[in-house]
Amino acid sequence: MTAPATLIRRPRIAPVWRRPLAIVGILFVSFWFITMIIVPFLPLADPLAQDFTPLSPPSGTHPFGTDILGRDVLSRTLFGSRATLPFAILLVIISLILGSLVGAIAGYFGGVIDEIIMRIADLVFAFPTIVLAMVVAAALGPGITNAVIALALISWPNYARVIRSLVLSARNQEYVVAGRLLGAGPLSSLRRDILPNVASPMLVLAMLDLGSQILLLSGLSFLGLGAVPPAAEWGSMVGDGVQQFSNWWLAAFPGLAILTVVVGFNFIGDTLRDSLDPRSANAVTQVNA
Amino acid sequence: MSHSSSSQHAEPAVADALPGSARSTRTSWFARPVVRYIGIRGLVSAVLLLGVTIVTFILTNLVPVSPITAALGEQAASDPATVAKFVHDAGLDKPAIVQYFVYLGKLLHGDLGTSIQTRNPVTQDLGQAFPATAELALCVILISIILGLGLGLIAAVRKDRFSDQLIRMVSLIGISVPTFWLAAAIYFLFFFVLRWAPGSGRLSPAATPPPRVTGMYTVDSLLSGQFTTFLDAVTHLALPTLTLTLFTVGMLVRFSRTAILDVLNQDYVRAARAKGLATNRVLFGYVVRGSIAPILTIVGLAFGSLLSGTVLTEQVFAWGGLGQYAYRASTALDLPSVMGVGLLVGAIYIITNFIIDVVYGFVDPRVRIG
Amino acid sequence: MKKKKVAAASIALVTAIAIAGCANGASTDAAAKTLVFDTTFDLKTSDPGRAFELTGQTIDKAIYETALTFDKGDLTKPVPQLTTYKLSDDQKTLTLTLTGTHTFSSGNPVTIDDIVFSYQRLQAIAGNPSFLLTNLSTNTPFTITKTSDTTLTITTDTPYPALPYILANPSLGVLDSKTLQKHGGTNTKDDASETYLNTTSAGSGPYQIESLDVKTKVVLTANPKYAGTKPAYSRVVFQNVLSPSQKTDIQGGQAQLSVGLNSQQVAGLASDTIKVLTSTSPNVGYLWLNQDPAYSGGITNNPQFTAAVRTGIDYSGVLAVAGNGAIQPGGIIPTQFLGAIKPDATNTFDLAAAKQSLAASGYSGQTLQISYPTDFTLDGVEFGTLAQKIQAQLQAVGIKVELAGLPITTLLQNFRAGKVQAGLMYWGPDFPDPSDYTTFSPGNPVGLRAGWTADQSPAVTAARKAAEAAVGDARAAAYETWQREANKAGVFIALLQAPRNYVTTGGISNVIPNAVWTVDVALIK
Repeated sequence: MTAPATLIRRPRIAPVWRRPLAIVGILFVSFWFITMIIVPFLPLADPLAQDFTPLSPPSGTHPFGTDILGRDVLSRTLFGSRATLPFAILLVIISLILGSLVGAIAGYFGGVIDEIIMRIADLVFAFPTIVLAMVVAAALGPGITNAVIALALISWPNYARVIRSLVLSARNQEYVVAGRLLGAGPLSSLRRDILPNVASPMLVLAMLDLGSQILLLSGLSFLGLGAVPPAAEWGSMVGDGVQQFSNWWLAAFPGLAILTVVVGFNFIGDTLRDSLDPRSANAVTQVNA
Repeated sequence: MSHSSSSQHAEPAVADALPGSARSTRTSWFARPVVRYIGIRGLVSAVLLLGVTIVTFILTNLVPVSPITAALGEQAASDPATVAKFVHDAGLDKPAIVQYFVYLGKLLHGDLGTSIQTRNPVTQDLGQAFPATAELALCVILISIILGLGLGLIAAVRKDRFSDQLIRMVSLIGISVPTFWLAAAIYFLFFFVLRWAPGSGRLSPAATPPPRVTGMYTVDSLLSGQFTTFLDAVTHLALPTLTLTLFTVGMLVRFSRTAILDVLNQDYVRAARAKGLATNRVLFGYVVRGSIAPILTIVGLAFGSLLSGTVLTEQVFAWGGLGQYAYRASTALDLPSVMGVGLLVGAIYIITNFIIDVVYGFVDPRVRIG
Repeated sequence: MKKKKVAAASIALVTAIAIAGCANGASTDAAAKTLVFDTTFDLKTSDPGRAFELTGQTIDKAIYETALTFDKGDLTKPVPQLTTYKLSDDQKTLTLTLTGTHTFSSGNPVTIDDIVFSYQRLQAIAGNPSFLLTNLSTNTPFTITKTSDTTLTITTDTPYPALPYILANPSLGVLDSKTLQKHGGTNTKDDASETYLNTTSAGSGPYQIESLDVKTKVVLTANPKYAGTKPAYSRVVFQNVLSPSQKTDIQGGQAQLSVGLNSQQVAGLASDTIKVLTSTSPNVGYLWLNQDPAYSGGITNNPQFTAAVRTGIDYSGVLAVAGNGAIQPGGIIPTQFLGAIKPDATNTFDLAAAKQSLAASGYSGQTLQISYPTDFTLDGVEFGTLAQKIQAQLQAVGIKVELAGLPITTLLQNFRAGKVQAGLMYWGPDFPDPSDYTTFSPGNPVGLRAGWTADQSPAVTAARKAAEAAVGDARAAAYETWQREANKAGVFIALLQAPRNYVTTGGISNVIPNAVWTVDVALIK
């Protein structure tokens, strides 16, 4: 704090990214992303092959042990990233698009439209998330796609709220008003003048949301309402594992996988938020701690 | 933090109330700003409640499973006469819109229908399950508020110092742990391995629940002076509370830290500090008071997310509360019960937030409702 | 400095609260003669006329007496309880004669009127067990007639050798009609005594209800008026506990009896104080293959394909999933019952034969979708685990298998409508007689669920009719023939009977497995 920041050109990486939180977060997330991509090429047992002695504890040949059908838990845990990450990202993208659209409309047009949209959002908030998701999943039948649909239906209001408050405050900025005076229609005004302003807070929100969506998705699978067997999926692996308490390795490793990937996203999200301007950071904080 | 971004719920209605109050003439009782504000919030809450009934109803009507299968056994479902009688008794042969109004009419008389699974009135089932969850949730919220605010305050005051970093990291981990896994891990460690705490359930198997007053065993046992039962109930409460507290504290720490930092940067607090007021007086006199309103809002939200936590936690601890009831009802497609749970939780959420909004209007110096 | 104080104070406060929150102590509330029984509830009611779930049968067995019963675990011969019996030579009329003095918990004596009332009530209220007093081949209810103050007759239109066996079912528990009628009980469809029965009970059995919550806990206390030997435990607590907790409850001595742990969970559990008693469950887990072309996907109604599946399943591998004590019944009738058979060539693993049949069937890579219930187990064995095992085995034969787990309600609905290509399900005995299983025949209710209509497999139908008509010693052979014929048609593949593990601790003894009511708690010492 001794020298004015503008005079120092040296740091290529912003200081927030040199904090232990950020480093750990990036490590965890990149580990799981790299695993997701390269896992089929690793010298691992087939995650579906029921070739080994069932329920053997962790050992040299099976570092994470084997499950009740004699499958390698290490292989299943690593392959589990493929059943979780892509769907969680897809889910966040769907909710982001849906929520942003709805929120932007509410914020830009205001009035009755705003009232109606935000009351619907309130309604979704008021209805217990997991009950809604459970009913939808139970009705549609289990399956990761159905779980994604169920969660998308209840996740959009978060985004709608944030984008609405951001649009509300951007709407009356001079340059936006000037744009409108120059004849820009509502759509192009939203796109040209407002979107760039809200893009970065939305990104942060999405990053923080990824963590909670992974938790919800795997929670549904834990209850038997998500991924379908024999797919290796962390939530359902934990679900099977808690049936066999003495075989602690069944639940411990997939649980740690969920923990590390969610911690990773949350650490990064938190760091990203710190690098935002305070106003946007607050808008993000209020919906996602 | 501007008030528009700090209260998601209060904000639109407050915005409506403000211009009106400026014009109000104070001749009519209804025109008084406080009454108006509360009235509008109340009205919005009522509309939301009605909305929840519609959502539950539509949802349960979209479910492509006939309750007949859920309600009747193997042989009974093969008998057309039994099926016809069931369909008629349950009013399933009427059009959906009629069914909705019948439902709403009954609801106004406190009748939520009969659970397909338990065959009890849903209100009776909820009356059984609710106190169990309420006991757990209140315990969690209470501990979380104290821990969350305390740690949030420490983190904010010592911003960017080591303790702040540590608290933030722990709270981030807290919101990252999968509840269902944590519950199992805690159960495994403290009951299965260490035997420090008793197993699942709300009381030891052989124990008799205390005479029912509130339905919360800790309170009821104290009311009836059964100290052993009280201890038993408290020890059973420990592990599920621990599980849920970690997440809730994590959430509250993060919100309260932000809220307190926000107030610390406000001009009036800086001024007070500049004037040389003692740090403690500034902290408790200004900062805590100033940040209590946004934190209240979050406590309301935390209640909501607590329920999804209880569904997963109650499964592991066989708690027998709303969470387990909701899970069983949803997977068995016991629609009257699902509607009952949805409605009850929705109502609690809406009412909690209504109260918080009203309190908010009074405590936050920046929301001028008069 | 001040800041530090605040921080320190906050930390102290925080710690104090955390400690208070975690406070715990040993629970010491163990009443002297209480038996705690952990199990996974499927309880809906304790009204015998309406209850037809495993837990309900165990509880009703403890509360109510039946006209006839089974001695301990022996299901081969009904023995007198409230009455003695005589089946007429044409096997159409059963005469019951009251024996000894039995008294309800209210103090009222058990009379013939009570038995008649209870049976007629069961028939009238159309509850889940009502079919028990119906002739299943002709679908006509039995006629119940009081013939004197000590006798009654049950008559039906075709020979019905299963009659005395049915009467031992706890759903036919005899109710105190005088007391019940004061609480809305009738022997018509307007009966409104279920709530009363769920709070107070009205039986002459060893126990009565202290409290009942169908989702969490049922507490029974000894019935002081019970005419038989006083039970050793004056109070029995049935707890609905998930299996991992059952295990810890037993290890921690919080429960004395647990039924519902699977073989993996009981492995290594036995010790000086913990005893594991394994019996074979009468529940038969089976796989069905739909014969309706509309739902067969062009494969499951192909006899060669069916043969490929039947010989492609490695039954020993399936049994291994269920653990020690699991057995493969040869047909749909469980091994404990009359008429059970050993596996034959149609359901013995033979990979080469399976591949051959598959090639002969003209199979060209279609998907076989196997559905299974996700929220239900076969005596503690997850259907999902069984499904994954079979999937892997059939894929080795060359069949593409997809799994579809569904909540049991959804699955049952689709299955009953005959719309599921293939799936896993189980059949629990309604009464210990092979006639309960002919529903797995072409044109019969369960047969139709698999699209097996009356015009198909005439040999199976002929064998079924012969079995139903057989009397006396000829019955066993006739039912064996029926199952062999059914195996040739191949629609239902009996996979396994899982072990049922009774785990006890705290020095309790005399836990006697029973295929109908699981265990009679009154006998436990």
